[in-house]
Amino acid sequence: MAKKTFIFLFLSILFLFSCGLREKWCTSTLFFFDTVCEVKIFSSSALAHSAQQEVHRIFSEIETVFSPNSTDCSSPVVLKLFRRSLQIYRDSNGCFDITVAPLSKAYGFFKKPDFVPTPQEIKSLLNFIGMHKIKVKNKEVLLPPGMKLDWGGIAKGLGVDLASQSLMAMGIQRGFINSGGDLYCWGRNPEDHSWQIGIKHPREQGFIGVLSLSNSGAATTGDYQRYFELNGVRYHHVLNPHTGYPAQNKQSVTVIGPETTICDALSTALFVSHQPEKILQKYKDYGVVIVNSAGKILVLGKPYPFNPLSTKL
Amino acid sequence: MDRRQFCKTILLTPIFGPLLLDLKYEKKGLHLYIISDSPQDSLPTILQQLHNQELINGLRFTFLNSLPAEKSLKKILSQKGWKHVFHPSLADFSLFFSNLRHSVYPSFTLVKDGRILDVRTKKLLSLWKEMYHQKSPSTWLTTASFQFKQTGLFLGGHAAIYLDGHKRETISLKKNFSKTFQSQRGSIAVTVKNGKAFVSNSSCLHKICQSTLPVQYVGERIICAPNHFLLEIQGVQSIDTVIG
Repeated sequence: MAKKTFIFLFLSILFLFSCGLREKWCTSTLFFFDTVCEVKIFSSSALAHSAQQEVHRIFSEIETVFSPNSTDCSSPVVLKLFRRSLQIYRDSNGCFDITVAPLSKAYGFFKKPDFVPTPQEIKSLLNFIGMHKIKVKNKEVLLPPGMKLDWGGIAKGLGVDLASQSLMAMGIQRGFINSGGDLYCWGRNPEDHSWQIGIKHPREQGFIGVLSLSNSGAATTGDYQRYFELNGVRYHHVLNPHTGYPAQNKQSVTVIGPETTICDALSTALFVSHQPEKILQKYKDYGVVIVNSAGKILVLGKPYPFNPLSTKL
Repeated sequence: MDRRQFCKTILLTPIFGPLLLDLKYEKKGLHLYIISDSPQDSLPTILQQLHNQELINGLRFTFLNSLPAEKSLKKILSQKGWKHVFHPSLADFSLFFSNLRHSVYPSFTLVKDGRILDVRTKKLLSLWKEMYHQKSPSTWLTTASFQFKQTGLFLGGHAAIYLDGHKRETISLKKNFSKTFQSQRGSIAVTVKNGKAFVSNSSCLHKICQSTLPVQYVGERIICAPNHFLLEIQGVQSIDTVIG
């Protein structure tokens, strides 16, 4: 009798243990970078818990190191991202520039009532804009007085890349991380197809189209994500570093490619630039879906499977 | 040319081998792959044959992206009776263009539900031979997808409410109602009206959530980051996630 009880208990424990080992789809929602971060992976329950902790750890670190109040200019991760940002700055002829913080602050996008600076104020602030003014000495980024860095256009993408690489290294072969529109997906979706990624319509309900991706990153920049309207004029957060005013001629830019870090930065650069094709020539593995100010969809660069939709059914 | 040699030729064409491997996972349906810098020379003939043999229905086509010869292709297809539409939801088949990394001899192949169709049985062998013997390498791949599934726009039946990272409630979109939710950071009022959900009031500073348009399609979401709030429309899932 004791032997039967022991066998029964042993098999029960084995069964419960194996349930925890069985792989299934696990979704978690975190709040970092001032937005919602969604993580969906195919793994056992135990591994999913470790994965969530790992994503939490990475996002916390990135959020701390690259926060607007951080003065860290010497850590290896900051230096590395600075160098990558500088390269994109040069490749985009200054359309992507992480020194726009003083301008963004002047516009009231940072916890201040909506405010439009005067032309004189903008002209004065432009003296503090321009990555070429920053030097790196003894492995430290030296900021001239009055200049401040805004990592908002690239740090989130880096966080997504680091987190997804870590999850893949843990053996998770299918999943995606979507951090407020900066995304990396790998493997196949629950239906065993490429991941179906909807791109939000910048003006209407629904989506402009659906991307079919696997082992790719994507990021969107839009004039509807953070804006205010004053006297009938929309002031959005994507500022042109050359003029100091919100970039014109586009409603939304979605970049697709191998690294979310680059997608994140390029989505800003291509939003600001009047010649996105020229920038894309230097990034041959990247493609873009642009909605211009007239609402027309343009697909440029490396083609990724994109199915445009109509919301008018 | 016997069947074995034919299949060998198809698989040896560098682009078709990986494509066929990839097709194992792709959606079912009929797909036509044409390697040619001038698809307007062969596409109308192939389409006509497929139509005659009732392998495809409908005459409306759409472009999913651009091609240098797009205008010429549109003109020739229109002359042969095919009709161009802008919105994929209205099209019977779609055309997508890719640039190949290496040039390849022109040819085409038909694949249905992951299996290669023998063009000899489709009366297209002479055209296939003519293209293949042109011996002028091409760098453009045209993919025509028939009976392709329209993804994305499905009306949701309910909305999931997430607060502080946890799913708190599911609300139906079928009845008009309003409710205020409390998170650790603040309060947010959600209203459902005429099948759509929207944020009617929020304690956050910038009210971006309040200015978001009402949502009703599966996958659409409204986020209030300061209040750690997420509303997501749920239903038959055809979109895995949303960016933008």
